[in-house]
Amino acid sequence: MATELQTNGGGVTLGAMDVVLKIWRSDAETGERSLERYEVTVGEEATLLDCLDVVKDKVDGTLAYRKSCRMMICGSCGMRLDGRAVLACKERMKPYVDRGHVPVVSPMGNLPVVRDLVVDMGPFWSKIRAVKPWLDTGYQEHPEGEFRHSQQAMNPIHKESLCIMCGCCVSECNSMEADPEFLGPAALAKGFRFVGDPRDRGKIERLEALNEEHGIWDCTRCYFCNERCPKGVDPRDAIAKLGAESIEAGIDRDMGAKHAKWFVRSAETTGWLRETELVPKTQGLAEAIRQTKFAVSLAKRGKVPLPFPPHVAKDVREARMLRELVRSQGRTGAAGHIQGERALSRIEHVLHDDPEKAPASRIAPEKARG
Amino acid sequence: MRVAYYKGCLASLSAKELDTSTQALAPKLGIELDELESVTCCGAGDIHEAEPDYYLHLNARILAYAEATGSDTLMTICNVCTLNLRQANHMLQNDEALMKRVSDNLEAVGAPPYSGGVEVKHFLWLIAAGEGYDRLKSVAHKGLKGLKVAPFYGCQILRPSKLLGFEDPDRPSSLEAIIEACGGEAIDYPAKIKCCGFPIIQAREETALNELIQPIEQSMEAGADAMVTPCPLCHLSLDAWQQKLEASTGRSFGMPILHLSQLIGVAAGLEDSELRFRRHVVSMDPVLEKVEAP
Ligand code: SF4
Ligand code: SF4
Ligand code: FES
Repeated sequence: MATELQTNGGGVTLGAMDVVLKIWRSDAETGERSLERYEVTVGEEATLLDCLDVVKDKVDGTLAYRKSCRMMICGSCGMRLDGRAVLACKERMKPYVDRGHVPVVSPMGNLPVVRDLVVDMGPFWSKIRAVKPWLDTGYQEHPEGEFRHSQQAMNPIHKESLCIMCGCCVSECNSMEADPEFLGPAALAKGFRFVGDPRDRGKIERLEALNEEHGIWDCTRCYFCNERCPKGVDPRDAIAKLGAESIEAGIDRDMGAKHAKWFVRSAETTGWLRETELVPKTQGLAEAIRQTKFAVSLAKRGKVPLPFPPHVAKDVREARMLRELVRSQGRTGAAGHIQGERALSRIEHVLHDDPEKAPASRIAPEKARG
Repeated sequence: MRVAYYKGCLASLSAKELDTSTQALAPKLGIELDELESVTCCGAGDIHEAEPDYYLHLNARILAYAEATGSDTLMTICNVCTLNLRQANHMLQNDEALMKRVSDNLEAVGAPPYSGGVEVKHFLWLIAAGEGYDRLKSVAHKGLKGLKVAPFYGCQILRPSKLLGFEDPDRPSSLEAIIEACGGEAIDYPAKIKCCGFPIIQAREETALNELIQPIEQSMEAGADAMVTPCPLCHLSLDAWQQKLEASTGRSFGMPILHLSQLIGVAAGLEDSELRFRRHVVSMDPVLEKVEAP
């Protein structure tokens, strides 16, 4: 019913629309939850945040959510819309109205809910603090003049510098859900923002710390963080850069690093993954022996291919020579990742707007959280 | 259609049943496979993380051999291979200088050059749309008799969607469409788009098992007779590591896990020697009994 008309600052006339929303409300004291339905009339350009503001002003003043800038800068308004973590001030509601779909709004995942759409960001901030998010200049005294750095020298950390700490990536991180102590995508992206900063003097120390138990090798490569980040930080890629820098610096004590190195070794020797040797190479011989029973159960099913004679790819010599050649060209460590960023940024994000089906993966994130 | 076929490590080693069922099924769906010989592992997330420039070259080499077959499509049967190859392909196709350096390097070691003429597509995508899907119904003549199947997509066939982009990463429907075309009933559950834990199953077993339990438990609660996945790595963790999940939780799941090619293969009446269910850890007998029942 686009009958009411309103005028924005530029004098352009915009129609109005009725938005129907369902919001998960919760009581701060009892934790009791209920899904409530709201209907508001807003301008056609309205975002989810605009709708919440109208709900709060006109329908129910007790609705709790966070906001500040209203322009995708402050990172306050992270929440879930149909199960996806989004910035409320970035999501336009018109497509939902056009489809006649009633979306469900809920708080972000992986963080404790305080009330309604407000989560406790405490655990988020303590992980950010854990990566020492400040520059280690390596000097105590003030220098005489300024230091100069070219734009080019700063480019490698361009993407990570875009983070507004909204928590959308953390909300959906599958490893953090399984191990709440995992540092997680936002803190690790911040970690690379300093590891990759040419002015920083604490690189090795930082990498050592990020290689600890709940650090980079906890990441299960689910790519939810890249998918959700509203600012294009691509935290998973930042973690890959940290992995590459660590291995290049010889910091490879973690089983995750050993696992990765065995793939490299396999590729340049036989071409194919040397699957059976992967366990002892990753976990050590002692652990591999402890796992014998498990291994035997797999061997019975042909899942432990014999390493001898090795399964060697045809023309594997090329793969071996390639590694030598590539290493001599110096794009080692994170530089190998960064070289592809410009090309990847040219790809437009595909928009999927199929309105009809809203299966469980979209509408019931609460259930998914258990 | 004729496609270059890259089977990857697992289908050559511990998941040979995926290769044999794919080779048997593809021609029935009008897909002629031209298997690549001189190729290596795509490096999984591992070489990508550890030595990204080497990752790019290994994948470029696979793309180059695919291009040399004269086909414009490289077909994969693994999520991880799909993301790795598509990502490398996008990097090369959108950066002339990078393409030149990499292609020159390939030639320097005796491999064919690469010019960007190949598109990487997962087997699932060839069946879930177009001609493949049209043929599916007649191929799946035996049907699945209403078998309740829980689709499990895994991560790297959905995300990052800007590199994969076949379908909505949050509301995918290709596996459901295939299950239904085969006469099965698709079961819906939230964790179908989440991670199976495989990439860290050796380095962080406990964390990985906490991920793995979600799809298995939810499928079971939703009444699934079996699960199906387009990824051999997901298959390995869902099938082979299920016993570890049973040991660590003291529960029994017994959830049979099908490769996509096996699911269609059963409906299409492929031979035992092609399906090779004996290579699975969790028995497929209850599924077969249900499907074979008069
Ligand atoms: S990385 Fe992206 S999603 Fe994560 S906190 Fe920063 S801006 Fe938000
Ligand atoms: S890719 Fe890694 S950091 Fe990103 S959401 Fe998944 S597990 Fe978390
Ligand atoms: S209100 Fe500031 S980012 Fe949304």
